[in-house]
Amino acid sequence: MRYEMKMPDLAANNAEITVSRWIVEPGQKVARGQPLLDVETDKAVMQVESVASGVVSELCAPAGASVAVGQVIAVIEVDEKKTAPSTGR
Amino acid sequence: MVTIRQFEDGIKFLFLEGVMPGTIHQCQGQEATAVGVCANLRQDDFITSTFRGHGHALAKGLTMQELLDELFGASTGCCHGKGGSMHVGNMSKGMVPGIAIVGGGIPVAAGMALAFKMQKSDRVVACFFGDGAVAEGAFHEGVNMAAIWNLPVVFVCENNLYGASTHISKVMRDTNIARRTEAAYGICAAQVDGNDVLAVFEAGKIAVGQCRAAKGPVLLELLTYRRTGHSRRDPCHYQPQAEREAWCANDPIDRLAHVLKDQGISDDVGLEAITARVVQQFEEAVEIAKRRPLPTIHDLTTDVLA
Repeated sequence: MRYEMKMPDLAANNAEITVSRWIVEPGQKVARGQPLLDVETDKAVMQVESVASGVVSELCAPAGASVAVGQVIAVIEVDEKKTAPSTGR
Repeated sequence: MVTIRQFEDGIKFLFLEGVMPGTIHQCQGQEATAVGVCANLRQDDFITSTFRGHGHALAKGLTMQELLDELFGASTGCCHGKGGSMHVGNMSKGMVPGIAIVGGGIPVAAGMALAFKMQKSDRVVACFFGDGAVAEGAFHEGVNMAAIWNLPVVFVCENNLYGASTHISKVMRDTNIARRTEAAYGICAAQVDGNDVLAVFEAGKIAVGQCRAAKGPVLLELLTYRRTGHSRRDPCHYQPQAEREAWCANDPIDRLAHVLKDQGISDDVGLEAITARVVQQFEEAVEIAKRRPLPTIHDLTTDVLA
């Protein structure tokens, strides 16, 4: 199953979030909770953890790019149904 | 403790997915403090809590469902969807909704305990706060009042070494909070391994017993460690890696699991079954919480006292 990993709401006051560097690359297997990338917010450099377990198929924002909260940053092919994240309302 | 851990880990991912709005203050690593203390309390005893209150709530008997409903802003939540993460509580279950102002629960606890004393009741208040609250005036006022009037309060200081990002050594010359409190206010105080749930339970039993016998107050300083950032937006760079790793190796759930296995009370299969059951309960509760009704315009004027 294809899961679109979106930028979490890590910055206060809707401030800009910049991709610092990717820790994973396409084709790499990742587990739920594993750091995917470093981002810089108005306050700090932070790691973004994967929400899903699976294989990274696509990175959607290069290092240096500015991304909005909720924007798709990576696509993960989820390997197991039970690790699939819930869907929001 | 497993319920608290899985609840906290579960909502962390809901936040990262963008399903749950706002920020959250989590207590992974501190589960033994809430569980060890609250296991000594009756339903009609009270606790006061902080912005980091999910663990306290679950330990005092609130359900995952009423907490999740609250976090999703639903009208079926423990505060009718108007409190959110930082104010969880349920007066009918003995938990004052969390007070997010640091140290804010301490005078409230002293006041409730004064009421219990005047009513000649044997009810007890357990007042949770962090090491950061010890620098607040409210701490000194509340503890002093409880001391001079022998009020039935167990002051539970969860000393996790950091007030937000500031290490305790930067704000206190003597970082032994139990010793400071005993010397300054003349009340019983003890420093306890806050990651050993059995030690916390034993210390809590003595403290609650003293308070019930009108020999309070008591302060328990529980040494513990927060594994997450102060809030979800805090990357926690100020915690040295070696310190983090040492405390993670001192995990309260793992430690109790070792005791249970050593004594033949449970085994890996039994412990994994507990975790699996809790995860399933959490996932079911999330699905229900998502479909719960939100407050309506008519709810604007309910629960309002002013």
